[in-house]
Amino acid sequence: MKAFAALVHREFIEHRGAFFIGPLLLVAVVVAMTVLAFTVGRVDVRITGSMATMLPGVVLFWPAMVLGVAWGLYLLAVLFFYCADGFAADKRNNSMLFWKSMPVSDFRMLLAKLAAAITILPGAVYAVVLLSMALMLATAQIAMMINGTAAMSSLLGLVTIFWNVALIELVQLLVSLLWYLPFMALVGAMAVVVGRWAIPLSLLLPTLAATVEWVTLGGLHPFETRTWHYLSYRATMREAGMVDTWIADGPMGVDVNSGVAYALDLISRIDWLQVGIGIAFALGVLYLASEYRRRAAAN
Amino acid sequence: MSETIIDPVVTARGLRKKFGGKEILHGLDFDIPAGRIYGLVGHNGAGKTTTLNAMLGLTSYEGTIRVLGEDPFARRAHLMENVAFISDVASLPRFLRVRELFALLSNIHPNFSTDKARSFLEGTDIRPEMKIRTLSKGMMAQLHLAVVMAIDAKLLVLDEPTLGLDITYRKRFYRRLLEDYMTEERTLIITTHQVDEIEFMLSDIMFIRDGDLILHMQMETVNEKFSQLVANEAETHAAARALGPVYEETRFGQTVFIFDGVPREKLEPLGKVSTPTLSDLFVALMQRPTANPETAR
Repeated sequence: MKAFAALVHREFIEHRGAFFIGPLLLVAVVVAMTVLAFTVGRVDVRITGSMATMLPGVVLFWPAMVLGVAWGLYLLAVLFFYCADGFAADKRNNSMLFWKSMPVSDFRMLLAKLAAAITILPGAVYAVVLLSMALMLATAQIAMMINGTAAMSSLLGLVTIFWNVALIELVQLLVSLLWYLPFMALVGAMAVVVGRWAIPLSLLLPTLAATVEWVTLGGLHPFETRTWHYLSYRATMREAGMVDTWIADGPMGVDVNSGVAYALDLISRIDWLQVGIGIAFALGVLYLASEYRRRAAAN
Repeated sequence: MSETIIDPVVTARGLRKKFGGKEILHGLDFDIPAGRIYGLVGHNGAGKTTTLNAMLGLTSYEGTIRVLGEDPFARRAHLMENVAFISDVASLPRFLRVRELFALLSNIHPNFSTDKARSFLEGTDIRPEMKIRTLSKGMMAQLHLAVVMAIDAKLLVLDEPTLGLDITYRKRFYRRLLEDYMTEERTLIITTHQVDEIEFMLSDIMFIRDGDLILHMQMETVNEKFSQLVANEAETHAAARALGPVYEETRFGQTVFIFDGVPREKLEPLGKVSTPTLSDLFVALMQRPTANPETAR
């Protein structure tokens, strides 16, 4: 277990630029821009303070959620490139022979990469999400203090918003990682075999699979096949039902205390059988990739 | 009186390997006992690295090979607890710092000692905070050697460990290996093109040519079996040829003969007799069918 944790840690060291340092720099730039915007009067600090006091759902909860979605999209992109590149990195950077001199099987090596993709790497981005949210709320608190409307209740309100949004985004992140696990494993396994060609191939594969079904079993066209419908279902992001209500009602109707309700609703809506099938599929393709890696020339 | 039989560290029987239908190894048979320092020598493409890769579980093969009693291809991960190797000094993960590498290895490898690795780096210019990608090739070789020497392994395999290094680094590398690492319980297998540089440390030699083992013997036996005769006089050449040299060449006006199994008393009247260097022997034996057609040990 110690060795496995160390292998997961090495993935973080190798990819911390994309998953931690890069996002931190981005946050630093946004903070600098925010300070500048307030300093030069582009954003009025008193109006911001008043709005944050009167409409915390509009000024704070929704922006915090949007911030989370933006970081989620960033994470989606870097995880895709991590799987398509990181799984082949040992070969590309000529360190395969070194890692093969370690008492770790190829399967455990790949499993550590996949484990990193669903733990420490998104965890690092989540930590940056929390930091950026805390900075945003701290900015609101300072604006309220300058405006003279800051009170203990407003601080508690900010903490409530922080806790609820953090919980929503954590549960959303965990569920999404589990839901998309088979896709990540498939892209990673392809990368073991074809290297960076996994990027275009993984985008082509669903169409190819649907076309094979259309050619062999018939149908109106490749996008009206069971394969395509299943892949569309598996590729759709799961979310709690209240998102539709929030969108319909607009920012004014949002309940800033909806963290636990969102989490429970999301968990209840997940097709756990499909999650189980996805985990089994991920382990299967990873095993096949490890057997390829075991047999392929290391130098 | 009871006699303890120690199993060989490596045993190969009928070891064959094909790449795309072309056979690279043609059924090698050999045993490597514990506590020896083996030199595996051959031309480029002779099958040295393929043989080592088979021993290390890095490639599949036909026939049987056992390393420390285990099938290396089936049990590579387990085997690597007791086997260390350097196949390419440039293979260290470049994104790590030296201290990060040691910290990871202390968790990944049960027989790795960070303290030993640090002590092996004393006296070098390598510092824990340095990124591996910033190290020179020589420093990289020193670091890699420190890493493998800090692993308490029974078998150490070095495949061209000093490739591309200058003579100073090469000498330091081998001296360090011999002084700080080798013990009676450890076995070392080494391949290099600079055979003369490792000749002093070898206990056994294997010559491989086109996938066949053409020489496998202890260095003492090599010294007893092979002789080199330098004959200046033209009239002695015919007499030397009559004794069946395995190799003959002319260097700077002198004729050099290499003999296999000819008593030195017979050669001494014909010129200056000495033991051929490994590189001379290598050149000589690479041009004849086989040096020891009997089954290798």
